[in-house]
This record gives sequence, C-alpha cells and structure tokens, in this order.
Amino acid sequence: MEKKIDVKNLKISFRTNNGKVQAVRDISFELYEGETLAIVGESGSGKSVTSKAILGILAGNSIIEGGEIIYDGKDLLKIKEDDFHQIRGDKIAMIFQDPLSSLNPIVRIGKQLTEAMLLKNRSKRRNCGRIFKHYMVLLRKHADAGASAEEAKKNQETISTFEKAVFKGIEYEIKYNDAHEAVVDVLENAKNVLFELEKNVVKDIVKECKEIRTYGLRAKNRFVVFNDEARFEDALEKLGTLAAEWHERDKKVKKEKAIAKKRRVEYVEPAKVEIEPVLKTIIEIAQRVSEFSKPSFVAIGFRMIKHEATLPNADIDEMNAILMKEMKTEFYDTFEKTLVRALDDSHNCSIANKKAAIDVLEKNRDFFKNNETFKEGEANKYVKHTIACVKSAIDHMEIKKDNLSYTFNTTLTHAVGRYFKGINRNDKEQARFDKQTQKIEKIVAKGHIPEWSVVPADIVNIQEAREHIVFVIDRIINHFNDSIRDDAFKAEEVSNEVFSFLEEQASGSVFKVTQRMAKNTAIKLMEEVGIAEPRRRYRQYPFEFSGGMRQRIVIAIALAANPDVLICDEPTTALDVTIQSQILELINNLKKERNLSVIFITHDLGVVANMADRIAVMYAGKIVEYGTALDVFYNPIHPYTWALLSSMPDLDTKEKLEAIPGTPPNMIYPPVGDAFAERNRYALKVDFVEQPPMFKISDTHFAATWLAHPDAPKVDPPRIVTERIARMKRLAEADNGNKG
Amino acid sequence: METKDKEVLLRVEQLCQYFKLGKSELKAVNKVSFNIYKGEVFGLVGESGCGKTTTGRSIIKLYESTGGNVYFKDQRICAGNRLYKDAIAAAKEDCADTVRGYEAEIKEETAKNPANEATIKEKYHRLISEKREETSKIIKENRVAIKEARDDQRNCDKKYSARRVAELKAEYEPIFANATPDKLPEIKKEYNKKLHIAKRERLVTQIQMIFQDPIASLNPRMTVETIVSEGLIIKGVRDKAYIQEKVYEALEQVGLVREHATRYPHEFSGGQRQRIGIARSIIMRPDLIIADEPISALDVSIQAQVINLLNDLRSQLGLTIMFIAHDLSVVKYFSDRIGVMYYGNLVELTSSDELFKHPFHPYTRSLLSAIPSPDPIYEKKRKRITYNPLVDHDYSKEQPTLREVLPGHFVLCNTAEMEEYRRIAAEKDLIQKAE
Repeated sequence: MEKKIDVKNLKISFRTNNGKVQAVRDISFELYEGETLAIVGESGSGKSVTSKAILGILAGNSIIEGGEIIYDGKDLLKIKEDDFHQIRGDKIAMIFQDPLSSLNPIVRIGKQLTEAMLLKNRSKRRNCGRIFKHYMVLLRKHADAGASAEEAKKNQETISTFEKAVFKGIEYEIKYNDAHEAVVDVLENAKNVLFELEKNVVKDIVKECKEIRTYGLRAKNRFVVFNDEARFEDALEKLGTLAAEWHERDKKVKKEKAIAKKRRVEYVEPAKVEIEPVLKTIIEIAQRVSEFSKPSFVAIGFRMIKHEATLPNADIDEMNAILMKEMKTEFYDTFEKTLVRALDDSHNCSIANKKAAIDVLEKNRDFFKNNETFKEGEANKYVKHTIACVKSAIDHMEIKKDNLSYTFNTTLTHAVGRYFKGINRNDKEQARFDKQTQKIEKIVAKGHIPEWSVVPADIVNIQEAREHIVFVIDRIINHFNDSIRDDAFKAEEVSNEVFSFLEEQASGSVFKVTQRMAKNTAIKLMEEVGIAEPRRRYRQYPFEFSGGMRQRIVIAIALAANPDVLICDEPTTALDVTIQSQILELINNLKKERNLSVIFITHDLGVVANMADRIAVMYAGKIVEYGTALDVFYNPIHPYTWALLSSMPDLDTKEKLEAIPGTPPNMIYPPVGDAFAERNRYALKVDFVEQPPMFKISDTHFAATWLAHPDAPKVDPPRIVTERIARMKRLAEADNGNKG
Repeated sequence: METKDKEVLLRVEQLCQYFKLGKSELKAVNKVSFNIYKGEVFGLVGESGCGKTTTGRSIIKLYESTGGNVYFKDQRICAGNRLYKDAIAAAKEDCADTVRGYEAEIKEETAKNPANEATIKEKYHRLISEKREETSKIIKENRVAIKEARDDQRNCDKKYSARRVAELKAEYEPIFANATPDKLPEIKKEYNKKLHIAKRERLVTQIQMIFQDPIASLNPRMTVETIVSEGLIIKGVRDKAYIQEKVYEALEQVGLVREHATRYPHEFSGGQRQRIGIARSIIMRPDLIIADEPISALDVSIQAQVINLLNDLRSQLGLTIMFIAHDLSVVKYFSDRIGVMYYGNLVELTSSDELFKHPFHPYTRSLLSAIPSPDPIYEKKRKRITYNPLVDHDYSKEQPTLREVLPGHFVLCNTAEMEEYRRIAAEKDLIQKAE
C-alpha cells in the first residue's frame, strides 16, 4: 500500500509562563492509503496536537522541536502558509471536536457548506490548469530527445492534437455533468413522491411534480442519450396533469369527509387518481440512465476536431466503444509512443543526474562530517550546491512523487539552521540560565520562598545537530544508490496511468462549480450525512440545529472538498449512542467509497473497534502501544491499554470498575522514567529510572513497556480484561463453528 | 423482578411538558408515566432531544409542568392542568357536535313526516338537554381538579409538613397517654424537637440534581465551600460551624479533601468538578438524586471513577437515583430498571436484565444494536438496526398505549403488536430452554 502521511520523530512543545510544556515527545507513525489509524488516549496526551500539526494549525506559542511530516512530496512542518492553502481542506480535511465552535454563528448553513466548494473550485481550476500546462511543457521538451527534425515536428503535432482534443472533449463533459445531475434529481424526487403517496403524507404534490418535469426536460435537452425519449417525455407530461387532478380530488375528499363526520353520515370516497404507474415509469427510465457509464470525453473531442461529425446515436456504452476504437486506431498509438519516449528520456536524465550527484553529495557530506566547526557563509555555499544537485536529480514527469528528494531542500535547510541557532544562541541561553539560578539561590538563601521558577535552558546539542546534517545527506545518498541499483522503470507500464492523470487534470482545469451545482451537492451531502429535510435546513443558522445535527454539518463541510485524508478529532464524543454509530457508519462508508485515509482520534476504545485498521495508544506525548486492531484488542501489552480497557463497562460487566487513579503527569517536568509508572499498579523499579524503548511483539505490534522485556517478570492483565478477551474469543469461535 | 412489595418513592403519572414554538407547540414530554421504588437506580435512556432531561427537570420543578401529576412520598408536587383543560374542550366540542347532529336529524325526520313534528322535536330536545347537563357536569369536575392542581403546585411543601406534623401527633398521642408523670417532660422535649423539624421540613429539597456539564454548572466566582453549602443556607441553617462541618463531611464522602473547600472550580480537573457537583447534591441528605448525564462530558478513565463513587454513595446513604444517560452499556451496568424514551414518549420500561433479554420495541432494538464494544471481529459484523416509526408501526387501526406485555415489562404498543411481542418472547424462551 502507498504511504499517504509519514510522521517521523515529531516533537512539539508549548511555551507557557511556567516553562516549556512537552506536548508531543518523539512519535513516529505512517498512514497508508485507504486505512483508518486510530489514536487513542486521555485528554492532554497530545493526540489533538499531533493532528493539528499535520494540518498546520498549531497555536501561536507552539515550538516544533524536530521531526518531519511528509505528505505528497512536501514536509508539512516546513512549508509556507500559502502552500498550506492548497492542502488544508482540499487534500487534508478535519472534523473538529466541538461543532458549535467550528461553525460561524451568523452565516447560514448553506452558505458555509458551499463557500468552501466555490472558493476551492477556483483555486483547483487554476492549479489543475497549471499542472496540465507544466506537464505539456515537460512532454514537449522530452519528446524530441534523440529524434530527427521531421520526427520532432510530428511529435509536436501529436501533442497539439491531444491538447485540442482534450479541450474539445471538456465542453461535452460540462453538458454531460449538468444532464446527469438533472437525471439524478428526477430519480430522487420521483422516489420521494412515491414514498409520500404510499405513506399518505403528501405535502405539495403539484409543486414536486413540476420540479420533476423541469429537471427531466433539462436532462433531455442536454447530453444524455435515451433509447425511449418519447416515452419519458410523455410520462412527464402526463405526470403534470395527473398531479393537478390528484390534488383537486384530495382537497375535495378532505372537505366532504369533514362535513360527513359532523352530520354523522357515511362517506363513500370517489375513485382514486392513478399516479403511481407514471411515476414508476419515470423512475425506471431515470434509474437506467443514471447507471450509464461515463463517456470518454477525450475520444469525443478527438472525433469532433478530426471528423467534425455528430455523435453516433447509440447507448453510451456502445458509443464509448465506437469512439474508443476510432481514437485507438487513428491517434492513441502514436501519442502513446511519444509519451513513452518522453517518459523514458525524463527518467534516464534523472538517473544520470543521480549518478552525477552522488559524488558531489559525498564530497559535501565529508565537509560537514570532518570539520568540527564551520563558518555560516561557507556552509551555506555547500548547502546551496547540495540542494541544486538533488533538485536536478528529480524526475518531474513521475506521478508518484519521490518524497525524500522533494523534501530534501527544507530538511537540510532546517538541519543547518538548527546547528547555527545553537552556535549563536547557546552561550546567551546558558548565561541567562546561570543568572536566574543565582538570583533564585539568593532569594532562597535569605529564607524567602521564590514566587517564580527558573525557565529551563533551551540548549541545542551542537554535536548532535552536526550529526543530523550528515545523517540527512547520507539518507539521500543511500536513497539515490538504491534507486539506481533497483532501476526497473518501464515507461510502457505507466503510460496509461499518465494518460488518465492528464485527462483528470484537464477536466479539473475547466470544471466550473456553479451556485446551483454547489447547492445541489451541498443538499446531497446533507442527505448523505443523514439530515432530514435538507432543502429547508439549508437556509437555517447553526443555532437552529441540535448537537448531533451540527456535527453532521461539520462532517459535510469536511467532505465537500473531497479530501484525500480525513482527520476526525473526537467527532462523536458529544453525541449519543445512536447518532454516534450513525456517524461512525457514515465515516466508514465514505472511507470505502472514496478510498479515504482516516486518522481517528478518540478516548473511547469501544468506538474504534469497528473503525480502525491500526491503533496507536498515546500517553503523555508518546505512543505507548501500536498495532493492528486485532493486536491491541486481543493481545494488549501495555498497562495503560489494560487500564483503558478495564475502565469502561460493557453489557456483561457486573463487578466493580477499575478506574485509573490520579491524573496525567505535568509535562513541564516530564518524569524521568515511564510517564505512566506513577499511576501503574504493575510498575517495575526500572520504570521510575529509565524510559522503556519500543519492544517488538510481532511484525505489526509494538509496545513501550518494560513488561515486554524478556527479563521482566510475568504479569497478567487485570481479570476484567482477560475475561472479556476470553469471552470475545469464545464468541468468535462459536460463530465460526456455526458457519462451519 | 418483584416490584410490588417495594415502597414507591416517586410516581409520575401522564407527565406532559410542552414548549411554545411560534404558533405550534413542541411536545418535549408527552404523557410519560413510571414509578421509582425506594433504593433502586432508575435509568432513563434515549437519544439527544428525546426529552429525558426535560423529564428530570420537570420532576424537580425547574419547569412548570404542562399536564399530569408527579407524586413524591405520596404528596403531589407537580400538577399541570392541561389535561383537564383538554378534557373540558373535548367535552364542549363533543356536545356541540352531538347537538348539531340531532338538529340535522330533526330536519330530516320532519321532512319525512311533517305531522309528527311536535313529538320528534320534543324527543330530540330532551336528548339535547341531557347531553348538555352531562357536559356541564364534566366541566365542573375538571374545574375543581384544576383548582386543586394549582393549590398543590404552589403549596406542596406546606402540605407535606402539615402531614408530617399530623403523623407525629398521632404517633405521640398514645405515648403521652401511657407515659408516667416523671418521664413526661423528657418525652415532651423530644416531641417538641421533632415537631420543630417537621414544621420546617421541605419536600422538594429532598430531590437533588447532578447536572451534565461540570464546568457550566459551577459558578466560577464561588469557592467550593460556598457552592456546596448554598443549599443548606437557603434551607435556613445559620450555624456556621455546623455548615462547615457538613461541607467537610460531604467533600470527604465524594473523595475530595478538606483543603479543597477554599479553592475555586477552575482549579480542579473534570472528574473532580463532577465530584463537587455530587457533594453539592448529597449535602442536603436527599432521598432521590436525579443524575442528568453526569458522565457524558468526562474521559473514559474518569467516567469509571464517577460511576464507582455513585455506586458507593448509593450503598452508604441509601439513595435512590434516577440516572439519565445515553450510554446503554453504562446504564445497564448501573441501573436496576430502565425506561427508554423516544421523542417525548416512554416506549419501553422494565428491569435492566429483562430489557436486554427481550427488547420488544423496535426503537429499543435499534438502540441496543448501536452499542459499540471493544471487540473488532464482533464490531465488523455488527449490523445497526435503523428505526423509522413510519415503517415499523402500523397505527392506522389502533393507537398505541403503554401495555404490560410480560410481568413488569411495559411496552408502548397496540393489541396486535402486543400479541406479536408475546409470541416472540415465548419462542425465544423455548430456544433458550432447549439449549
């Protein structure tokens, strides 16, 4: 699986009046594509801080002490705010804990939902256009490598044709999107009316049927190809008149019934207006149309510019086949050849540059390695040179970005910057610390109790900083060596991928979201997250919603931009069980549908059992246990995980609950040993002296506790946990037996 | 569970709480009835907005109840008059309808045979006057009830203390008669002391509430001591040393120490703040505590601390607790009997074991299916049942009422559903027996 987010050695502190609070202390984890990672821990364990660091919204008094968060060829800890605008909300979205504080109280829900969609669409269009153009420039540049003048001319022509075809095709795509949306609207509205008729809760049938008709006609007049257009149109016409009749009859019946009741006379109802069959016809046709596959717009565009002919009159699948065949024979093969050549050339260039870069890099590394001290000017020269080398070795035509090379610039600059910060400030910091210590000693000597405490000195270990610089350069050299050695690049294999990538970017560059579309999408999203009567709710303010509904709105806003990664920061803590499980189900479904990667933060282990693929248990800024859901639930190792599991009752719990005594430690002065030792019944002596390292339990399961050490005494988890696990295993076995 | 022998502490009858919402009304609590027995924990569950908090608040008279009665220690403390007013309106309309019907019939019959007009008219006029008399009788009765309800609503405390005094007098009369003259002054002294207490006894202070949000429910400008002692001061205790002693006692009971009394709420963690809220309620020595989601705003590890504390206090002080929550696994762990609410209606009411053994109402089943458990394999298979009242019930023929399906197990259903539920229960028991 592909890594989406890679967090390495993250350390974050907060500056406060009493000193530095170490919120996150050296944590590392990965998030893979399409998986859910749950981060579990008490409040104050640093789980929210981690997620905020990923989103770049840390508070002003935060200090990032080290580490990397790598996403899509960028180090999120070191990029500028402007670059973050491309990522935040668009690629990585967050659902916040408190829905009321993350909604604007004086803006209608509808506006808040569509605002981001409209704004993001503008920047996305610009971005896609930029990427497409940039790629075209690269393609043009690399396509001519080692070709004769005639061939080069031909190549350039092919590329131009492709560009034209793409842009022509997009015109049709816009029409198609509109029509498709209208068809879906027809379907939904018709189903709604049918349901109302069945349940006898009709509200305004005339208006609803009118809407269906409008949408239906719009769909028909645009792009969608029907087989039975006439039947559809006929049904729509019929529907209008029938709805009016139905309404008249309903009014009459109600009135007469009331009179009859007063007079105590039996009332015979007149014959019903048969509106259902028409509705069913409409639903059947719309259903079929909405399930059509998407036409290939590049092929359409190609036919348009090449033959200037009309579209073949057939089903979309059939049409697709005809058009694709046409494009394949006349154009695609030549274009693919050009593309393959360009990709090959670009890759070869990159490999050559890498080979050349290694020598330079080794020389530069030796400069940092051998010199004990170096001047800033000199070092900067070397840094610049190194960065230029690495930059030239990047293959820009690759779609999957090589994260290490892309982030090398920021990583190296940061590492060198840290070294010089130490050189320049260590003395001053030490002096301040000495001065304050003397002052406080004087006060103590006089017999007073000081009202303030000494802020600990913030001293950079220069030796370590230098070693880190060497490590960063070493890492890239190894990476280059590996990629040269394992070079198995085949341009033919990726050319299809590149083609669809280009198609996607091109359609993104002209895909305009109108107000109406945004509104429709918003209403659909609101329906998707389970809000009743979305059309009415759309015009309301946040305070008119209950807690659960507000949370749903926040989720809808987060999903509006169609993100890659979704961070959920305790999304269900304020909600009750039914809505909680609805929202969890919703997030799970969306994850499957859109192949989202989810980081799910919570303090309730029960919540994540269904959601999580992997779980990280955090305590006092460190990950104490890390493994797949099965590992953590069926074989918990760390006493803190035991405590979390045993402090919540389930349906079969009868005995007294085991609460965790005390409170989490003060992170201004973090404990020397294991942070959990003081609250831990199973603490060993070594726990108070030395921090436990991460012990490997199995390939996927790690725990930071001395209990996992081979020499440690054998300790059983609390009875409540073991019993529950035994029961769960029994259940699972019984179930398997039933199936077998 | 045998409930018949137990003493009823709180009896809620047809409690209604409506809120004005523009022209229409929001029926937050709609004709809810249940009993709470002495010494038990009664859990009330439901999703947010279903009216469980409103029920608790109506009982403790934070709202003026719209209709129905609440009896605490056999004394009516809440009495709304909406039901009586509705009855009057219904009677009036019924009367008018009937009269209109009769008049129409007069017209028809006179048209058929005009000769008998006088006799027909006489016959129907007699019927009409009978109906009117009947109606006015109903109206009169209801008006009296309204008057009584208003009186009870205002003076329940006085009535209760009067009742206590009367009881005391009745108790001591034979003692006075039988006592020897040398012991008489001593007994009289004791009697007077008890009489003094009984005269000042207030009923509603014997119900106390623990609120959901420990941050919002504590005044940030008051120290813990003032917060905890406020109830005693309002009750009329003036002895400062006594108050302080009581505060310390209460703090120690909830697991805090004396030094905490002089601090402010912001100096405490979430769990400790909730403990202050509990201390504030138990200092009044209540008989009934209404705990309104006391653990929803807390971390999991602290939730366990608070539940354990409530459990200890319950056995120490012999408390009765009405526990309002939405987390069914906690409610199951903590409660003896459970009531399930859905949109202002009580849909199921039974002992907690029975509820999990035979969940009848579809809403209860959907609630049960939503409980998360720390078991990934089970969780992946768990299927949530959705509840849609339009789909799950067919109430076109008969409206549902709260019926006793099995002994001690009440469900909101109509006759057809009740039979269906009984059948399901029988089948389930058979299967279990076979196993």
